Amino acid sequence: MKGRWLAAAAALFALALFAGARMRRLHEPRFPPLSELKAGPFAFQDAALAAAGFRAPAADLAWIQLLQYAAGSLPEYADHAGHPYEHLSTLSLRVTRLDPSFHRAVLFSAGMLAWFHGVERPDEAAELLNEGMRRSPDQPIYALYLAAIAYQKQGDTGRMIALLESSFDAPETPSTMKAILANLRQSRGEHREALALWERIRASERDRSEHARAKAKIAELRAILSKPSPRAK
Amino acid sequence: MQTISAVFAYTFKEHLRHKAWLSAALFGLVLLGGAIIVSALGADERARLLLDLGLAAIEAIALVSTVFLTVHLILAEIESRAIFLILTHPVRRADYLLGRFLGTVAAVALGMAGMAAMHLLLLSLYGWWEPLRYAAALGCVLGKTAVMGALSLLLSLALTSEAAAMSFAVFLWMLGHFSSEMRFLADRSGSAFMKTALVAFSHAAPDFARFNYRDFWHQPSPGGEWLFWAGAYALAYAAACLALSVQLFDQKEF
Repeated sequence: MKGRWLAAAAALFALALFAGARMRRLHEPRFPPLSELKAGPFAFQDAALAAAGFRAPAADLAWIQLLQYAAGSLPEYADHAGHPYEHLSTLSLRVTRLDPSFHRAVLFSAGMLAWFHGVERPDEAAELLNEGMRRSPDQPIYALYLAAIAYQKQGDTGRMIALLESSFDAPETPSTMKAILANLRQSRGEHREALALWERIRASERDRSEHARAKAKIAELRAILSKPSPRAK
Repeated sequence: MQTISAVFAYTFKEHLRHKAWLSAALFGLVLLGGAIIVSALGADERARLLLDLGLAAIEAIALVSTVFLTVHLILAEIESRAIFLILTHPVRRADYLLGRFLGTVAAVALGMAGMAAMHLLLLSLYGWWEPLRYAAALGCVLGKTAVMGALSLLLSLALTSEAAAMSFAVFLWMLGHFSSEMRFLADRSGSAFMKTALVAFSHAAPDFARFNYRDFWHQPSPGGEWLFWAGAYALAYAAACLALSVQLFDQKEF
């Protein structure tokens, strides 16, 4: 009778092992091994959070640091003169290594690298998208952005814009990318199309971060459109 | 059963009156407030950040309170000698231990429910509303909490030192999140001994990494069958630790 609790514990542990095996067979979380985390100024933060089972919050904090870097206020990653956003790719890969389902980090950085005025490094953007695709093959927008980059390299801006616009309302599309798209339309002199895009940004609750810019752009584009065109004169 | 429910009620009330429980619940609400501020920095991903950070705050508070409360649960009564008074009554040691454990888990669950209600309210203000999946994630957090509570109780009885029990509990928490890493290392290890040891460790430690619904929320979600087996795993693992605790507690002489 003395060992009955020990026997009960052994039986229950065997049941736990069986349930654990069933659990593993039914669902496999898609996280890269911790060994893939790279050394850097935030390595300790990432490793500590991931080891304690907080990978999604670790990716969220990495995303905030990526945004801080994009806004120019992350002293740990300072750019060299003439190399804007040189760490953008590294910082977005850091987010996806922590949580590959954080697609917006890759799309945001790829969008900035490929189409942001003054950056325009499509090859780096394509590399980043390929890495994102390798980690999340079921995310269709990575392939769409890669195709858009291919059109850009061929000089077919019209098809590139049309392709990018097809993902405008997708939940993963970053607000920054939408703003870039509207600016691309404007730079081509397509003011009506640009205005329509800014109005869609303004109407979307998801793009709250771009609302102030959208308001100013809408006013600017309306002013341009209200002027009589030189041909009418 | 009557004894278990009496000990359960007494433990539950004891915890609710304890300052530590109240401070933990209040600190949880402060952390939720912090999650609102931090999520404001997340631009397009505000709802995601609020969800992740809020659930992480609930889990962290639940873990700290469970480990703290269960480690003290029996050791404090042994030190104050209150246990003599209880065990002189016709109370089976197993019933006493189970009632104490369940009362503690219920008190922690109540704190979690309060924080979760507040968290859901905040999320709904930001247009997020997926209560069923949220309940599943919260259920998994409760499962982890119950397993950690049972492990801490076992450690407190085996080690008879609060500090050592808490340290080992935190170590096992970490190890539980390394289960897939251990299997990864076992696959790559050339030594048969190392491989066996790593596989044995990965199975003996609670498999929290695969239990982390909160963490893989944004990935394709598992179905109802997975939830059933996850519940069975948490129950069986916690019950196994409790059975070992009863074995140790039965052998103690007061």
